[in-house]
Amino acid sequence: MQNSPVRFLVVVVVCLGWIASGDALIDRQPQPAAQQRPASNIGTLPPIGKDSVKFLVIGDSGTGDRAQNEVAAQMWKSRAVFPYDFAIMLGDNMYGSERPQDYARKFELPFKALLDAKIEFYASLGNHDDPNQMYYKPFGMGGKRFYTFQKKDTRFFVLDSNYMDKDQQRWLEQELSQSNSKWKIAYFHHPIYSSGGRHGSEVDLRTIVEPLFIKYAMNVVFAGHEHFYERLKPQKGIHYFTAGGSAKLRAGDIRVGPMTAKAFDTDRSYMLVEIDGDALHYQTLSRLGRVVDSGSITRQNTGGTS
Amino acid sequence: MTKLRSASLVLLTMLLVACNRVDSSGSLTSAVEAEKPAVAAAQQAAALQPVNKPAVTADGQPVNPLGAAVLEFHKRVQAYMKTHNEAEGKVPNLKRTDDPVQISDREKKLAEMIMTLRAGAQPGDIFAKDFQPYFIKLVQDDFAKRSIADRKALINELPKGMKVAVNTTYPTTIPLATFPATLLRTLPDLPPELEYRIVGRHLLLRDVKANLIVDALYDVVPIPT
Repeated sequence: MQNSPVRFLVVVVVCLGWIASGDALIDRQPQPAAQQRPASNIGTLPPIGKDSVKFLVIGDSGTGDRAQNEVAAQMWKSRAVFPYDFAIMLGDNMYGSERPQDYARKFELPFKALLDAKIEFYASLGNHDDPNQMYYKPFGMGGKRFYTFQKKDTRFFVLDSNYMDKDQQRWLEQELSQSNSKWKIAYFHHPIYSSGGRHGSEVDLRTIVEPLFIKYAMNVVFAGHEHFYERLKPQKGIHYFTAGGSAKLRAGDIRVGPMTAKAFDTDRSYMLVEIDGDALHYQTLSRLGRVVDSGSITRQNTGGTS
Repeated sequence: MTKLRSASLVLLTMLLVACNRVDSSGSLTSAVEAEKPAVAAAQQAAALQPVNKPAVTADGQPVNPLGAAVLEFHKRVQAYMKTHNEAEGKVPNLKRTDDPVQISDREKKLAEMIMTLRAGAQPGDIFAKDFQPYFIKLVQDDFAKRSIADRKALINELPKGMKVAVNTTYPTTIPLATFPATLLRTLPDLPPELEYRIVGRHLLLRDVKANLIVDALYDVVPIPT
């Protein structure tokens, strides 16, 4: 009994240490909609398919600071288990100044291992990004603010959510209407659904793009801007992920609500995604390499559960 | 009992004062102060309002004032684009490159060339003074339709403390706020080289390739900063 206060103190210290390590999970919601994969909660899960589309999701990464470098190192470690071929960037690729040395400090050096391994990057523009980044070849934008690319049976639609003008709306509708791909995935910087306390849902943008997403059967949407990870319950049949915490973190900013399926806002994170036939498998990892979320989605227009 | 009543009265008064001082952004700005920009902009709009005049052409035909404003705006945008294109012809062409030096050098050279060619540029060169009320009205109508939460979200996003001067570069360390997509739908179209932006309470025209503030309409956004 005499040891009880000491024991209690030890437990408190251990708990505080765990929280301070930045790997404490906020998991205040059950896991509807997506099927849970058997996650070990320890490290990167291997891919399931052999000839699948595998990619990395990076959001709000361009700080050039220690956190970015730690996350980037973890991304590289993940690749040994989950060999992704390309990376999508959800914007805010560079914070602050964009001098040549900033391109090096905020992109080329943190992601050197990935670049050396010939991983292709496909960037979208965030509100901190100079649109002239579109001319930077390693960002894979082909000199365009908004563009599309194909990987096997998946079509990616990369939007500039900073400036959704009529040209871009026309372009998006045209591209969507012409696409016969099994999977349609859109990504851009501002989330149209979000439980973030600081920003929240980008309603203006939603009024314009959501009708097109519905009309042309968009499957999955990724966004950044919010410096945390959130998986939302499907909204009007579409799956939404916010993954804007690959360097910046707004700790405790998620207001868990009816839209939230999974929330993680205590450390930086990134996602690994695999598209294998009619299934999309996702896993979200923390800066320390722990799986904070994982699951599978069945393609909506197959008639399967989603 | 009297003391209790007095204390209650003081508390009630304090609550009422506090309520009146909290604006939609949640800051303790005076509600009256917060409304000032909107009122001032509306007065400015009314003062400049050419739409109330029975505008007619030389042969006496009535003029669509909104159409006239847009036409004039497009004419001035075209004039700017001539300058932009002339400047682009005088600096090295920019292609996709692995070298960020080329990107920043090109942006800087293009901006310098345009600034030289427009050395005498003034606010209102493109947002023509006579037609500014239309732009002010479009912006104010859009903001009037927004919920308090929506306005608050917009305010959070807007760059603050930035000095806006025409024919200068947009500071690269300050983020570009998302432009409200529904407002963008109502404003006249621009060529891809130009875009609208909001900074503080000002509506800007920005040259994308040169990162240059081409023109500004000051104090049009009816929100406190």
